[in-house]
This record gives sequence, C-alpha cells and structure tokens, in this order.
Amino acid sequence: MTDIHKTIVVTGIGVVSPYGIGLASLQAGLLSGKCCLEPTRDLYPGFAGTTARVSGLPLLPKGSGSHYSRSDRLAMEAARDAVANFDREEVSFMESGVVMANTVAGLSEIDPRIAQDPAAWYRHGGLLRAASYPVARVAASVAENLGISGPSCAVSVACASGAMAIALAANMLLDGAAPMILAGGSDALCPFTLSGFNSLQALDPGPCRPFDRNRKGLNLGEGSAVLVLETLAGAMARRANVLAVLRGWAMTNDASHPTAPQKQGDGLAVCMSRAMEMAEVGADEIGYVNAHGTGTPLNDIAEANAFQTAFRGRSHPVPVSSTKSYFGHCLGAAGALEAAIAIIAIRCGALFPTLRLTDPIESPGVDWLRGEIRRQPLPLAMSVSAGFGGSNAVLLFGSGCP
Amino acid sequence: MTAMLPIITGIGSVSPYGHLAGLIPQCSPEPSAITAWTTSGLRRAFLVEPFHPASVVPGLKTRRLDRLSVWALVASSLAIQDAGIDLSQVDRSRIAVVFATGFGCVELTEAFYQSASANGWSGTDPITFPETLANAPASRVALHHDLRGPNLTVGCKSFAGESALIQAASLLRHGQADMAIVLAGDTLTQAVYEWYEAADLLSPACYNSDLLSTVGGFMPSEGVVALLLEPEGSRASRSYASLRSGRWAAGGEPRQIVRQMLGGAVPSLTICAGNGAPCASSTAACSARMIVGHDAASLPAQAVAAGLADTGALLHLVLALSGAPRSGLALMLGTSGDSGFAALLLELP
Repeated sequence: MTDIHKTIVVTGIGVVSPYGIGLASLQAGLLSGKCCLEPTRDLYPGFAGTTARVSGLPLLPKGSGSHYSRSDRLAMEAARDAVANFDREEVSFMESGVVMANTVAGLSEIDPRIAQDPAAWYRHGGLLRAASYPVARVAASVAENLGISGPSCAVSVACASGAMAIALAANMLLDGAAPMILAGGSDALCPFTLSGFNSLQALDPGPCRPFDRNRKGLNLGEGSAVLVLETLAGAMARRANVLAVLRGWAMTNDASHPTAPQKQGDGLAVCMSRAMEMAEVGADEIGYVNAHGTGTPLNDIAEANAFQTAFRGRSHPVPVSSTKSYFGHCLGAAGALEAAIAIIAIRCGALFPTLRLTDPIESPGVDWLRGEIRRQPLPLAMSVSAGFGGSNAVLLFGSGCP
Repeated sequence: MTAMLPIITGIGSVSPYGHLAGLIPQCSPEPSAITAWTTSGLRRAFLVEPFHPASVVPGLKTRRLDRLSVWALVASSLAIQDAGIDLSQVDRSRIAVVFATGFGCVELTEAFYQSASANGWSGTDPITFPETLANAPASRVALHHDLRGPNLTVGCKSFAGESALIQAASLLRHGQADMAIVLAGDTLTQAVYEWYEAADLLSPACYNSDLLSTVGGFMPSEGVVALLLEPEGSRASRSYASLRSGRWAAGGEPRQIVRQMLGGAVPSLTICAGNGAPCASSTAACSARMIVGHDAASLPAQAVAAGLADTGALLHLVLALSGAPRSGLALMLGTSGDSGFAALLLELP
C-alpha cells in the first residue's frame, strides 16, 4: 500500500547540458547517440584537452544588481526550465525549498591575482565577483531568482554532490520542511578544476572511454539539472504530472583514501544495497544502472567490483552504462544530470550504451551496455555517484505510477 | 518531527576560546592583532591561537591539510572523547558526518591560486588540489575515525550551522545513521578578511584596540565546533540538550512558524544568533522579543560567535549551553535581513 505522504515523486525536470537547454534536448541528444566532447584549447594558456561546453546560455538582464557566476547562471536557467509550467503564484511553490549541489561554484569568477594582493583585486572589480564564491551561493541564487522562500541549502561533496542534494531534499520533504523542493546540481568549466584534475593526471586528452580496458581518464563537462520533488500527496493535491518516483536513496563513505575509491568498492556496494532496501526491491528488479563511470582507472574498477558485490545472486547480469561518455563529467551537476538521464531511460524505455566501449573490463555480473541503444520496458533504474573524499550516493527511480 | 529526539552527547571545539572537549568555561577572549600577513596598520579579529594538533589528539597527522580540515579533525576527536564513545564498539558504517561551512578550505584554495599565479595553470600542485574541496574536512574526519555512514558538506546563507544540525537529525530520524558528528566552521585568511574590509562590513574595533569588539559592524572570527548527536535512549549517556525541532527558510516571516514550533510553551532561554551583528539590537533579538515576550531570559550573542558569519551557530549554542540555567526549553533564533531565519527548539536536561 503506497503511503502518499511518504512517497517522493518528481514533478519537474530542468536541464542545461552541452546538448542545450531543456530535458527534451538532453533526451534527443542521448537518443541520437551524439557525443558533445570536443578538443579544447582556450580554457587556459597551455591547456589542450577534451571537454564538453554549454553554448547559448542566455545573458542576464542588464541591471540585475548582483554578479552571478557561470555556475549560478546554469543553475538558475535549469531551475526556471524545471518550473516552466508551474503556477508560480501557488503557496506551495512560493514556500518551496532549494537544495543545490556544486563544487566549482564561484571559483570560475576568481582570478589568481587574488592570492597576491586580495585588496587590490577587490578594488579592481573583484569585490562583486568574490561575492559569488561562498558554498551557499548557487542555492541562494536559485531561490532569489525564483522568489521562493523555503529552506535553501547547498551541498558540496565533490562529484557525489548532485545525487546527495536530491537525497537530502527527499529527507527534508519527509520531515515536512517544505511543500516542494527544487533539488539538483550545477557546475561550470573553469581553469581551477581543469588545472587540478590535470595536475592529478586524471584527464584523458581524447574523448573518455569509461569501463574500457584502455581507458585513460575523464573529461570535464559543464551543466545543471534541477528536479522538482514533492510528496505524492502534494503532487496529487496540485494535480501535478508525476514524471517518476524516487523509490530509494542512500549515502555512504569509503573512509579509505582522500581521492581514490576503495578498490573493492565496498562502500559503494553498501550504498547500492541500502538504496534497494529502502525501496524494498531485490537486485533482480533493477533494469538499468547509470554508473558514475568517470573513465579513470581507479574509479571504474572499484565501481565494477561494487556492482559484483551489490548484485551478487542476481539471475542475470545487471545492465550498466556511463553517460559521461557523451558529455563528460559535470562534477557537482553530474549526479543530478544522471538522475535526469535515469528518468529519461525509464520514460523512453531506452538503455543508453557507453560510447567508445570496445574492450570492457572483466566483470561477470555486469552487462556492459555498448553499441546500439537497447529498447525495453524499464520499471526501475539506479543512478550511482561517487566523489573525492570517498563519498557515495545512490538514487533509485521508478516509473511515474506508484 | 516524530517522538525520537536527537540528543547532543558530546562537544568539541577549536575556537578563540581554545581547543576544548565539552562546555566552554565562561570567559571573554580578546581580539588579537593579525600577524599572519602584512597589514597596513592594526587589524584585529578573534583568532584561533596556533597549537600542535598531535598534542591534543595523539598521532594525528595533519601535514599539508587546510587548517579547516585540521580543526575539524581535532574538534571531532574532542567531541567523541567528550561523549565517552568507544568507536571500536559501534557500527561505524552507520555514523554520519555533516559539516557546514561558508567558505570551505579557503587557505589552500588561496595557495592553489598562488601556485597558478607563480607557475601558470599548467604547473599547479596535485597534492593541494583535493584538499581545496569544501568537503575535504568532512572526508578527513571520516578517514581518521573510519566513519562510513553518510558524509555531507553543506552551506546555507547565514544559517549553515543550524542547517547542518537539522540535516543530521533528519538522517537519524530516517534511520540513515545511528549517530552523527555535526561540525560547523570557517577559517580567516587574508583574502576573506580583506573581502569583509572591502565590503565595508568590519567594526571600527578591528582597527582600534581602544574600542570594544561589540562596537558596530563585525569582528571576524574563526574556528570549528563539533557536536555528537545520538538518538535519545540509544545508550546511557550525558545529554547537553535534545533537539525537539528545527526550521530554516530563505525568506518569510519567522514569528508564525516559531510560535507553531513552541505550541504555546514559553522557552526558559532564548538564544539570539545573528549574522555578525551585535545581538542586543539584532533583528533576531527583536523577533525573539515579539515571539516570546520579555518574560523569557534572553542570552545575548557573544561577539566571538557572531564573527563566524554563516557557521557561528554551533559555537553560539555551545556558549549558551555553557552559561545557561540548565532546564526547560531553549529557543535559538537567527535572522538575517533578506536571508530569512533559522530556529532551533531545544530541551535542556
């Protein structure tokens, strides 16, 4: 029996991705199999790599007063897209909350000269730009931009941030903290993070090849996704269109290494199992896993091991792909974008293959999706995220008819 | 909220009051002159005195970590010690860490920019980069104590500390963790201090040692506070306070919501948390007077707690608990102009 007050549903999805603005452009891009990764040289002097960028982000109206970072603008655009069909005068909308993930946030606005003479940099235009630096800023920008007044919170847990924002928002809804919550993530490409990942030798100079034996690293992308979450009771009262049900969620930590995942993927496997326990579903019922799948040697092997553990005893291998092969790793936005992709997969009955996966790593319990899109009914899909610092987050989505 | 009340069973802090397990002895630290960077004339703030972390937590390795991570490690260790928990006897896959910060690891972020400035973006330091991430302190706490439950870092304009406490309580309530370490803090660096200065937010007392730190404006501070949160009745343990309910919002009028939270009860203690403003005249104090009237004892904010703009609430709470009449209900209320409000309703033992 469904408890409509404890069932969390998705009633809106807004996306800004390298495919363009809107869920429809993301869906069309994935279904076409188009790869948005391309050679990039202009992000900082000396950089030569592969990234996926968002073009055509609308400019803010002049005289808006505040300085918004590119991450803020991506988030505000995705949030506006998510609620495009909502009645913004409704009390439930005006009292809604915001939980937004980011890792880059205002770093894109800061100049290295800040480290030499901060006061001078502030005097020469940096003061306003630095105001977009605080962790809370992206979430606050979304709330301000939409004029909503519920609880506003930012989540910054490296590459697991986007999924965690959705998990936290679900907890907040169960607590009655707000009638609906806009939850997601946003991150822009910027020299700071490109330089950081480059220094760690984690970047593949060409398009990444997640789960391939010959994978060389990740590519960075940018974008934002925002999901509107509410209880089924709230959605029914508003007669809202339910796009998907968030059936389960879980968060764990490896407590193993500052950057590398625990090699056996134990923490991630526990996270998957806890999400399935919450959803009261067995491993056999998961029809598709949208993996974290960065394309780094360490992540992909740990993740493959985690699938082996979490889906042990399953009657047939679990279908898995990484859609980072289409538009790279969008850091704090990745978990939210991939949640949107899991919902697209359910709604279209389409299991997206990993691009360029020709020689998959050996993992008997995993059905590595490659080649053509696989068409099949998909009642349940899992989205997996992990990040520096050992954090893991897993979301489990079901079709929109609980 | 359901009947299960999360209780605060341990406190650890690294602040201008020192590095302490448990409550903070009543005293008023003086602001210090800044010497960590060259200033043009006197610049003052409430600073954490340098100390050797391994002398507080034996064996602690902190080389090349941001001070925020170091303080989080020390404060969490002190909170665990204060709660009397033997971590080897508990399921560490069910212990959460929830960390609140306004600026994150800004010290090493500045160092990373410094290396980019000196060597170009192609010559930055790979060891520094991961430690610049805002979640580095929380993940270092997890790594040090082998805590494998949910590990979150949150930010919330003006109310990050309150938000972290409410989120941690939510994890316990929903069975996603059996115990949580809640931390909140920030460090003061040259770039942060000079940003406050350029934005004209600082108290005149920052520049003049003859003035009291409570005179106008804002006297910045730094530090990390850790609270250990457990479900009521989970084990025989001390309780500093239990969290009955908590709300925060980015806008709106707090009076109706807080009155609902109180349900007609009158708190025996009202704690006003501000966004850097002196408490007596703060909007929080005005709102509190309107909500609970003048009967309830009101504990003024201490400047040192107010000086942590987004993350001061936990230090503020510990200071209040350290000097409070210890029974009945306590309301902690923070307001911040256009940024909304946060309210925590606590039950004191």
